[in-house]
Amino acid sequence: MAIIARKQAVQAQPQGATVREQLRAMDDSGVVSAFLGGEERAFSELVDRYQTRLLNFIYRTIGDREKAEDLVQEVFVRVYRHLHRFDRSKKFSTWAYTIASNLAKNELRNRSRNPLVLFQTVQKNWQDDDRPLQFEDSTSRPDDMYRKRFLREIVEESVAKLPEHHRNVFILRELEGKSYEEIAEITDCNLGTVKSRLNRARNSFAEIVAPYME
Amino acid sequence: MDCREFREQHLSYVDDTLPGIELVRMQMHLTECPECSRHDATIRRSLMLFRSLPRIEPSPDFSQKLERKLRDARVADAAALHTGRTRRLGAAVTVSSALMLAYIGLSLRQVDTPQDIVLPPVVALAISTEVQPSSGPALEMIAAVPAGLPLWTAALYAEQTPVHFASIESTSAR
Repeated sequence: MAIIARKQAVQAQPQGATVREQLRAMDDSGVVSAFLGGEERAFSELVDRYQTRLLNFIYRTIGDREKAEDLVQEVFVRVYRHLHRFDRSKKFSTWAYTIASNLAKNELRNRSRNPLVLFQTVQKNWQDDDRPLQFEDSTSRPDDMYRKRFLREIVEESVAKLPEHHRNVFILRELEGKSYEEIAEITDCNLGTVKSRLNRARNSFAEIVAPYME
Repeated sequence: MDCREFREQHLSYVDDTLPGIELVRMQMHLTECPECSRHDATIRRSLMLFRSLPRIEPSPDFSQKLERKLRDARVADAAALHTGRTRRLGAAVTVSSALMLAYIGLSLRQVDTPQDIVLPPVVALAISTEVQPSSGPALEMIAAVPAGLPLWTAALYAEQTPVHFASIESTSAR
Protein backbone atom coordinates (compact mmCIF):
# COMPACT_ATOMS: atom_id res chain seq x y z
CA MET A 1 0.00 0.00 0.00
CA ALA A 2 2.76 2.39 1.02
CA ILE A 3 4.75 1.43 -2.08
CA ILE A 4 1.78 2.19 -4.33
CA ALA A 5 1.25 5.58 -2.64
CA ARG A 6 4.93 6.36 -3.06
CA LYS A 7 4.83 5.45 -6.75
CA GLN A 8 1.77 7.61 -7.26
CA ALA A 9 3.45 10.53 -5.53
CA VAL A 10 6.52 10.14 -7.72
CA GLN A 11 4.36 9.99 -10.84
CA ALA A 12 2.49 13.08 -9.69
CA GLN A 13 5.74 15.01 -9.36
CA PRO A 14 5.88 18.24 -11.24
CA GLN A 15 8.14 18.01 -14.26
CA GLY A 16 10.58 20.35 -15.96
CA ALA A 17 11.68 23.85 -15.07
CA THR A 18 8.53 24.70 -13.12
CA VAL A 19 9.19 22.16 -10.39
CA ARG A 20 10.59 24.73 -7.99
CA GLU A 21 7.76 27.13 -8.68
CA GLN A 22 5.20 24.45 -8.07
CA LEU A 23 6.91 23.43 -4.87
CA ARG A 24 6.96 27.05 -3.78
CA ALA A 25 3.23 27.26 -4.32
CA MET A 26 2.58 24.22 -2.13
CA ASP A 27 1.98 24.32 1.60
CA ASP A 28 4.40 22.52 3.93
CA SER A 29 2.35 19.36 3.91
CA GLY A 30 2.47 19.20 0.10
CA VAL A 31 6.21 19.78 0.03
CA VAL A 32 6.75 17.04 2.62
CA SER A 33 4.63 14.66 0.53
CA ALA A 34 6.61 15.52 -2.58
CA PHE A 35 9.88 14.80 -0.77
CA LEU A 36 8.60 11.50 0.58
CA GLY A 37 7.46 10.72 -2.95
CA GLY A 38 11.05 10.93 -4.13
CA GLU A 39 11.35 14.59 -5.16
CA GLU A 40 14.70 15.58 -3.63
CA ARG A 41 14.26 19.24 -4.58
CA ALA A 42 11.39 19.46 -2.12
CA PHE A 43 13.89 19.29 0.69
CA SER A 44 15.64 22.42 -0.61
CA GLU A 45 12.27 24.14 -0.53
CA LEU A 46 11.85 23.23 3.14
CA VAL A 47 15.36 24.53 3.86
CA ASP A 48 14.57 27.80 2.06
CA ARG A 49 11.39 28.24 4.06
CA TYR A 50 12.82 27.55 7.48
CA GLN A 51 16.53 28.29 7.58
CA THR A 52 16.24 31.96 8.53
CA ARG A 53 13.38 31.45 10.97
CA LEU A 54 15.10 28.59 12.75
CA LEU A 55 18.41 30.44 12.74
CA ASN A 56 16.88 33.46 14.47
CA PHE A 57 15.00 31.31 16.93
CA ILE A 58 18.10 29.37 17.95
CA TYR A 59 20.33 32.44 17.87
CA ARG A 60 18.03 34.36 20.20
CA THR A 61 17.83 31.34 22.48
CA ILE A 62 21.55 30.56 22.79
CA GLY A 63 23.10 33.91 21.81
CA ASP A 64 25.87 32.45 19.66
CA ARG A 65 25.54 32.95 15.93
CA GLU A 66 28.10 30.42 14.77
CA LYS A 67 26.75 27.68 17.00
CA ALA A 68 23.21 28.63 15.99
CA GLU A 69 24.09 27.93 12.33
CA ASP A 70 25.54 24.56 13.26
CA LEU A 71 22.40 23.69 15.17
CA VAL A 72 20.11 24.77 12.32
CA GLN A 73 22.07 22.47 10.03
CA GLU A 74 21.68 19.70 12.54
CA VAL A 75 17.92 20.35 12.56
CA PHE A 76 17.81 19.88 8.79
CA VAL A 77 19.95 16.75 8.92
CA ARG A 78 17.51 15.28 11.44
CA VAL A 79 14.53 16.34 9.38
CA TYR A 80 16.11 14.71 6.30
CA ARG A 81 16.79 11.47 8.11
CA HIS A 82 13.51 11.16 9.97
CA LEU A 83 10.95 12.81 7.74
CA HIS A 84 9.49 9.41 6.87
CA ARG A 85 8.60 9.04 10.57
CA PHE A 86 6.98 12.46 10.84
CA ASP A 87 3.29 12.33 11.79
CA ARG A 88 1.76 14.13 8.82
CA SER A 89 -1.45 14.88 10.68
CA LYS A 90 0.60 17.53 12.53
CA LYS A 91 2.20 20.74 11.34
CA PHE A 92 5.67 20.42 9.87
CA SER A 93 6.72 23.76 11.35
CA THR A 94 5.85 22.62 14.87
CA TRP A 95 7.94 19.49 14.39
CA ALA A 96 10.91 21.47 13.04
CA TYR A 97 10.72 23.98 15.89
CA THR A 98 10.49 21.15 18.41
CA ILE A 99 13.74 19.69 17.10
CA ALA A 100 15.34 23.14 17.13
CA SER A 101 14.10 23.87 20.64
CA ASN A 102 15.49 20.58 21.96
CA LEU A 103 18.86 21.14 20.32
CA ALA A 104 19.06 24.66 21.75
CA LYS A 105 18.12 23.36 25.18
CA ASN A 106 20.84 20.70 25.00
CA GLU A 107 23.36 23.31 23.93
CA LEU A 108 22.53 25.50 26.92
CA ARG A 109 22.71 22.51 29.23
CA ASN A 110 26.12 21.52 27.87
CA ARG A 111 27.36 25.05 28.33
CA SER A 112 26.24 25.22 31.92
CA ARG A 113 28.29 22.07 32.53
CA ASN A 114 31.31 23.50 30.75
CA PRO A 115 32.31 26.96 32.01
CA LEU A 116 35.04 27.26 29.36
CA VAL A 117 32.47 27.06 26.56
CA LEU A 118 30.30 29.57 28.37
CA PHE A 119 33.21 31.96 28.67
CA GLN A 120 34.13 31.58 25.01
CA THR A 121 30.55 32.24 24.01
CA VAL A 122 30.31 35.35 26.12
CA GLN A 123 33.60 36.53 24.68
CA LYS A 124 32.32 35.91 21.17
CA ASN A 125 29.17 37.87 21.87
CA TRP A 126 31.23 40.89 22.76
CA GLN A 127 32.86 40.89 19.33
CA ASP A 128 30.15 42.91 17.74
CA ASP A 129 31.96 43.81 14.55
CA ASP A 130 30.84 40.52 12.98
CA ARG A 131 27.21 41.10 13.73
CA PRO A 132 24.62 42.83 11.58
CA LEU A 133 23.82 46.40 12.54
CA GLN A 134 20.40 46.79 10.96
CA PHE A 135 19.14 48.45 14.11
CA GLU A 136 21.08 51.51 13.03
CA ASP A 137 20.07 53.62 10.12
CA SER A 138 23.10 54.75 8.12
CA THR A 139 21.44 58.11 7.52
CA SER A 140 21.15 58.80 11.26
CA ARG A 141 23.53 61.04 13.17
CA PRO A 142 26.46 59.24 14.85
CA ASP A 143 25.18 59.85 18.38
CA ASP A 144 21.77 58.56 17.40
CA MET A 145 23.36 55.50 15.81
CA TYR A 146 25.31 54.88 18.99
CA ARG A 147 22.19 55.17 21.12
CA LYS A 148 20.28 52.72 18.93
CA ARG A 149 23.15 50.29 18.90
CA PHE A 150 23.41 50.52 22.67
CA LEU A 151 19.67 49.91 22.98
CA ARG A 152 19.89 46.87 20.74
CA GLU A 153 22.61 45.43 22.91
CA ILE A 154 20.55 46.08 26.01
CA VAL A 155 17.56 44.30 24.47
CA GLU A 156 19.69 41.31 23.46
CA GLU A 157 21.26 41.10 26.90
CA SER A 158 17.87 41.41 28.56
CA VAL A 159 16.55 38.45 26.58
CA ALA A 160 19.62 36.47 27.54
CA LYS A 161 18.96 37.24 31.21
CA LEU A 162 15.56 35.54 31.16
CA PRO A 163 15.45 32.01 32.58
CA GLU A 164 15.83 29.44 29.80
CA HIS A 165 12.26 28.08 29.86
CA HIS A 166 10.83 31.62 29.95
CA ARG A 167 13.10 32.80 27.14
CA ASN A 168 12.14 29.88 24.92
CA VAL A 169 8.43 30.62 25.22
CA PHE A 170 9.01 34.36 24.89
CA ILE A 171 10.99 34.02 21.63
CA LEU A 172 8.52 31.56 20.13
CA ARG A 173 5.66 33.94 20.85
CA GLU A 174 7.14 37.38 20.27
CA LEU A 175 9.64 36.67 17.54
CA GLU A 176 8.20 33.67 15.72
CA GLY A 177 4.55 34.54 16.30
CA LYS A 178 3.57 31.04 17.40
CA SER A 179 0.20 30.42 19.00
CA TYR A 180 -0.04 29.29 22.62
CA GLU A 181 -1.09 25.84 21.45
CA GLU A 182 1.90 25.49 19.13
CA ILE A 183 4.26 26.66 21.86
CA ALA A 184 2.74 24.10 24.22
CA GLU A 185 3.44 21.38 21.68
CA ILE A 186 6.96 22.56 20.89
CA THR A 187 7.98 22.93 24.52
CA ASP A 188 6.02 19.90 25.68
CA CYS A 189 4.11 21.90 28.31
CA ASN A 190 0.44 22.43 28.97
CA LEU A 191 -1.35 25.59 27.90
CA GLY A 192 -1.51 27.03 31.42
CA THR A 193 2.24 26.69 31.87
CA VAL A 194 2.87 28.40 28.54
CA LYS A 195 0.66 31.35 29.46
CA SER A 196 2.17 31.67 32.90
CA ARG A 197 5.74 31.54 31.56
CA LEU A 198 4.97 34.01 28.83
CA ASN A 199 3.38 36.44 31.27
CA ARG A 200 6.38 36.24 33.60
CA ALA A 201 8.83 36.55 30.72
CA ARG A 202 7.08 39.68 29.43
CA ASN A 203 7.06 41.26 32.87
CA SER A 204 10.72 40.41 33.57
CA PHE A 205 11.84 41.61 30.16
CA ALA A 206 9.94 44.90 30.51
CA GLU A 207 11.41 45.39 33.98
CA ILE A 208 14.99 44.98 32.70
CA VAL A 209 14.52 47.14 29.61
CA ALA A 210 12.33 49.86 31.14
CA PRO A 211 15.14 52.05 32.57
CA TYR A 212 16.73 52.30 29.11
CA MET A 213 13.50 53.27 27.40
CA GLU A 214 13.01 56.49 29.37
CA MET B 1 -11.90 45.37 38.12
CA ASP B 2 -8.95 45.63 40.48
CA CYS B 3 -5.25 45.80 39.62
CA ARG B 4 -4.66 42.12 40.45
CA GLU B 5 -7.32 41.00 38.02
CA PHE B 6 -5.99 43.40 35.43
CA ARG B 7 -2.45 41.97 35.70
CA GLU B 8 -3.80 38.42 35.51
CA GLN B 9 -5.62 39.13 32.29
CA HIS B 10 -2.97 41.37 30.81
CA LEU B 11 -1.42 38.61 28.68
CA SER B 12 -4.69 37.98 26.87
CA TYR B 13 -5.33 41.72 26.67
CA VAL B 14 -2.05 42.37 24.88
CA ASP B 15 -2.60 39.38 22.60
CA ASP B 16 -6.13 40.59 21.91
CA THR B 17 -7.75 37.30 22.84
CA LEU B 18 -10.18 38.57 25.47
CA PRO B 19 -13.94 38.41 24.94
CA GLY B 20 -15.59 41.79 24.25
CA ILE B 21 -16.94 42.47 27.73
CA GLU B 22 -13.62 41.70 29.40
CA LEU B 23 -11.84 43.90 26.92
CA VAL B 24 -14.09 46.83 27.83
CA ARG B 25 -13.50 46.23 31.56
CA MET B 26 -9.73 46.21 31.01
CA GLN B 27 -9.90 49.45 29.02
CA MET B 28 -11.97 51.07 31.73
CA HIS B 29 -9.47 50.04 34.39
CA LEU B 30 -6.66 51.55 32.32
CA THR B 31 -8.34 54.90 32.30
CA GLU B 32 -8.83 54.74 36.05
CA CYS B 33 -5.46 53.36 37.19
CA PRO B 34 -2.27 55.21 36.22
CA GLU B 35 -0.08 52.43 37.67
CA CYS B 36 -1.63 49.75 35.46
CA SER B 37 -1.66 52.13 32.54
CA ARG B 38 2.09 52.64 32.95
CA HIS B 39 2.60 48.87 33.24
CA ASP B 40 0.63 48.30 30.06
CA ALA B 41 2.67 50.92 28.18
CA THR B 42 5.99 49.51 29.41
CA ILE B 43 5.09 45.99 28.37
CA ARG B 44 3.92 47.07 24.91
CA ARG B 45 6.96 49.27 24.27
CA SER B 46 9.42 46.61 25.40
CA LEU B 47 7.75 44.03 23.18
CA MET B 48 7.89 46.41 20.25
CA LEU B 49 11.57 46.90 20.87
CA PHE B 50 12.19 43.17 21.01
CA ARG B 51 10.19 42.51 17.85
CA SER B 52 12.18 45.11 15.98
CA LEU B 53 15.50 43.38 16.68
CA PRO B 54 17.30 42.75 13.38
CA ARG B 55 16.81 39.32 11.84
CA ILE B 56 20.07 37.60 11.06
CA GLU B 57 20.57 35.77 7.78
CA PRO B 58 22.39 32.48 7.22
CA SER B 59 26.02 32.86 6.20
CA PRO B 60 26.88 32.51 2.47
CA ASP B 61 28.37 29.04 2.91
CA PHE B 62 25.38 27.77 4.89
CA SER B 63 23.97 25.74 1.98
CA GLN B 64 27.34 24.20 1.12
CA LYS B 65 27.92 23.15 4.70
CA LEU B 66 24.43 21.73 4.93
CA GLU B 67 24.85 19.80 1.67
CA ARG B 68 28.09 18.32 3.01
CA LYS B 69 26.41 17.28 6.23
CA LEU B 70 23.49 15.74 4.36
CA ARG B 71 25.90 13.79 2.17
CA ASP B 72 27.71 12.51 5.27
CA ALA B 73 24.38 11.57 6.79
CA ARG B 74 23.42 9.62 3.65
CA VAL B 75 26.72 7.73 3.71
CA ALA B 76 26.37 7.03 7.44
CA ASP B 77 22.80 5.80 6.94
CA ALA B 78 23.85 3.53 4.08
CA ALA B 79 26.70 2.12 6.17
CA ALA B 80 24.38 1.63 9.13
CA LEU B 81 21.89 -0.13 6.87
CA HIS B 82 24.62 -2.46 5.56
CA THR B 83 25.92 -3.18 9.06
CA GLY B 84 22.38 -3.74 10.24
CA ARG B 85 21.74 -6.22 7.44
CA THR B 86 24.98 -8.09 8.16
CA ARG B 87 24.14 -8.20 11.85
CA ARG B 88 20.62 -9.36 11.13
CA LEU B 89 21.97 -12.09 8.86
CA GLY B 90 24.48 -13.16 11.50
CA ALA B 91 21.77 -13.19 14.15
CA ALA B 92 19.50 -15.23 11.89
CA VAL B 93 22.25 -17.80 11.28
CA THR B 94 23.01 -18.00 15.01
CA VAL B 95 19.37 -18.41 15.94
CA SER B 96 18.73 -21.04 13.28
CA SER B 97 21.88 -22.94 14.34
CA ALA B 98 20.79 -22.84 17.95
CA LEU B 99 17.33 -24.07 16.99
CA MET B 100 18.82 -26.87 14.91
CA LEU B 101 21.10 -27.97 17.76
CA ALA B 102 18.23 -27.80 20.22
CA TYR B 103 16.10 -29.94 17.91
CA ILE B 104 18.86 -32.51 17.50
CA GLY B 105 19.47 -32.57 21.24
CA LEU B 106 15.80 -33.09 21.96
CA SER B 107 15.55 -35.84 19.38
CA LEU B 108 18.52 -37.66 20.88
CA ARG B 109 17.12 -37.30 24.35
CA GLN B 110 13.84 -38.79 23.26
CA VAL B 111 15.69 -41.81 21.83
CA ASP B 112 17.76 -42.30 24.98
CA THR B 113 15.04 -41.93 27.53
CA PRO B 114 11.71 -43.34 26.40
CA GLN B 115 8.67 -42.36 28.33
CA ASP B 116 7.86 -45.93 29.59
CA ILE B 117 11.00 -47.62 30.70
CA VAL B 118 10.85 -51.33 30.03
CA LEU B 119 13.61 -53.13 31.79
CA PRO B 120 14.95 -56.26 30.15
CA PRO B 121 14.91 -59.44 32.24
CA VAL B 122 17.91 -59.69 34.48
CA VAL B 123 19.83 -62.93 34.04
CA ALA B 124 21.86 -63.91 37.03
CA LEU B 125 24.23 -66.78 37.26
CA ALA B 126 24.58 -68.74 40.45
CA ILE B 127 26.76 -71.67 41.16
CA SER B 128 24.86 -74.49 42.71
CA THR B 129 25.82 -75.08 46.23
CA GLU B 130 25.03 -78.74 45.97
CA VAL B 131 28.19 -80.63 45.63
CA GLN B 132 27.92 -83.63 43.40
CA PRO B 133 29.29 -86.69 45.00
CA SER B 134 32.62 -87.21 43.50
CA SER B 135 33.36 -90.61 42.13
CA GLY B 136 36.80 -91.94 41.49
CA PRO B 137 40.09 -90.74 42.56
CA ALA B 138 39.97 -87.20 41.48
CA LEU B 139 40.08 -85.92 44.97
CA GLU B 140 42.82 -88.21 45.79
CA MET B 141 44.82 -86.97 42.83
CA ILE B 142 44.39 -83.42 43.98
CA ALA B 143 45.57 -84.41 47.39
CA ALA B 144 48.46 -86.44 46.02
CA VAL B 145 50.18 -83.88 43.90
CA PRO B 146 51.04 -81.40 46.59
CA ALA B 147 51.91 -84.38 48.77
CA GLY B 148 54.87 -85.18 46.53
CA LEU B 149 53.59 -88.21 44.73
CA PRO B 150 55.21 -88.87 41.37
CA LEU B 151 53.49 -87.00 38.56
CA TRP B 152 52.98 -89.94 36.32
CA THR B 153 50.88 -91.63 38.99
CA ALA B 154 48.76 -88.57 39.20
CA ALA B 155 48.42 -88.46 35.41
CA LEU B 156 47.41 -92.08 35.42
CA TYR B 157 44.82 -91.35 37.94
CA ALA B 158 43.64 -88.47 35.94
CA GLU B 159 43.23 -90.51 32.79
CA GLN B 160 41.28 -93.08 34.60
CA THR B 161 39.13 -90.59 36.35
CA PRO B 162 36.01 -89.56 34.50
CA VAL B 163 35.95 -85.84 33.96
CA HIS B 164 33.58 -84.17 36.31
CA PHE B 165 32.39 -80.66 35.89
CA ALA B 166 30.68 -78.72 38.49
CA SER B 167 27.02 -78.55 37.80
CA ILE B 168 25.90 -75.07 37.12
CA GLU B 169 22.33 -74.09 37.15
CA SER B 170 21.06 -71.08 35.48
CA THR B 171 18.43 -69.30 37.39
CA SER B 172 16.49 -66.48 36.03
CA ALA B 173 15.26 -63.89 38.33
CA ARG B 174 13.21 -60.77 37.84
